Amino acid sequence: MAKLKLQINGEEIELEAKETALLLDVLRERLELTGTKRGCETSHCGACTVLLDGMAVHSCVVLAARCEGKEITTVEGLSHDGELNELQQLFLRHGALQCGYCTPGMLMAATALLRRNPRPSLEEIKIGLDGNLCRCTGYIGIFDAIQACAQGKVETA
Amino acid sequence: MDRKLIRPETVEEALSEREKYGRDALPIAGGQSLLVLLRNKLIDPKVLIDLQTLEELQGMKRQDAGLSIGAMTTIYGLASSSDVQMAAPILAQGASKVGSTAIRNLGTIGGNLCHNEPGADLPPALLALNAAVELRSRKGTRKVPLREFFRNYFETVVTPEELLCGVEIPKLPEGASGVYLKHAISSEDLAIVGVAAVLVPHEKQAGAVREVRISLGGVSPVPFRATKAENVLNSGVLSDEVIREAGEVAAAEAEPMTDPHASADYRSKMVKVLVRRAIAAAMGQLERNGNGKA
Repeated sequence: MAKLKLQINGEEIELEAKETALLLDVLRERLELTGTKRGCETSHCGACTVLLDGMAVHSCVVLAARCEGKEITTVEGLSHDGELNELQQLFLRHGALQCGYCTPGMLMAATALLRRNPRPSLEEIKIGLDGNLCRCTGYIGIFDAIQACAQGKVETA
Repeated sequence: MDRKLIRPETVEEALSEREKYGRDALPIAGGQSLLVLLRNKLIDPKVLIDLQTLEELQGMKRQDAGLSIGAMTTIYGLASSSDVQMAAPILAQGASKVGSTAIRNLGTIGGNLCHNEPGADLPPALLALNAAVELRSRKGTRKVPLREFFRNYFETVVTPEELLCGVEIPKLPEGASGVYLKHAISSEDLAIVGVAAVLVPHEKQAGAVREVRISLGGVSPVPFRATKAENVLNSGVLSDEVIREAGEVAAAEAEPMTDPHASADYRSKMVKVLVRRAIAAAMGQLERNGNGKA
């Protein structure tokens, strides 16, 4: 076992875990941050996507021990005081989800993309989400929501 | 018993651990393939030696002789580096086609090469660039041309005492053009066929080419240089007929394999098509650069 000090959603958390524990397991099983989904566990589906220093990573192929000293952001870290952030609201407005299982990963991948490239083209959005699968095939709504976010178009209902 | 994670601070320390644990340990670079193999119980090392903190394996240097790339340079780092785009554009192309964004963010050039998974995108590009790797152990350092590096499925010449520390890419001859083409079921998949081509124009004879390099990945157990096809192309003018023949010869020397992604027969046909397209695309680049027949 090893002592870990992790920075998650702006909070410093100390815990003990196996030396080679995966970030996904630590988030879900130890910290009950279950917004991060367990999917294929082989780095294909992207349901477990989180941000590591602002960069999209699949937490099923990241050792938790390697995240010390880095900022981890999960989907729980997107909203503020119970308010969904702009991207999350746009996902709702554009119907960018059906079953919702891929949604946390999609949100995190999109957040990382918009940080790296605030005005992505449709093609760049597709590349930014190439590590995230939606098996309800709802990609169009997801692309629309991200494009709307990039254009800063939050229509008030 | 729980698996142990060792986090050395220098390459020397990492090499001592390598020597100490031998086959009981595996070095972990980006972890993007290794952690999947662990999860699927295909490997079971007692110890992982973490290379992440080794600063000596980070970064790249562009010099007159060429480009030196630290083994822990990420795939995203390769794809987005202006040095790579200038000095070895087909490596940047290959890197941009590896897996998905999340995998490119953490996966490394050293890990990609040592894993030696058929269909990986970096090996064909690096083979066509005449790259070599630097392997270090406590006993010393050896430089191995990439053409002698891959041995079999998931097997390389790296011994249990060694670490791949860097990749050396000699400077491309003046005016050279190149392309990497990938044929896969879906963009994040491994290549069914990956072809890299480099063309070096003749200094004096406009429209003529003095050297052609072709390498193939995904087709056979190990990536390789299609030397017979290169000979066909090196022996004359690159007419449509010669290019077509080179595709046929490449398919014949490839010894393609059948796996769940594609049959040997399909791979063979795709080699013909992609070799042809790669040469045509590289010729197009030469023409645009003013070295071609136009």
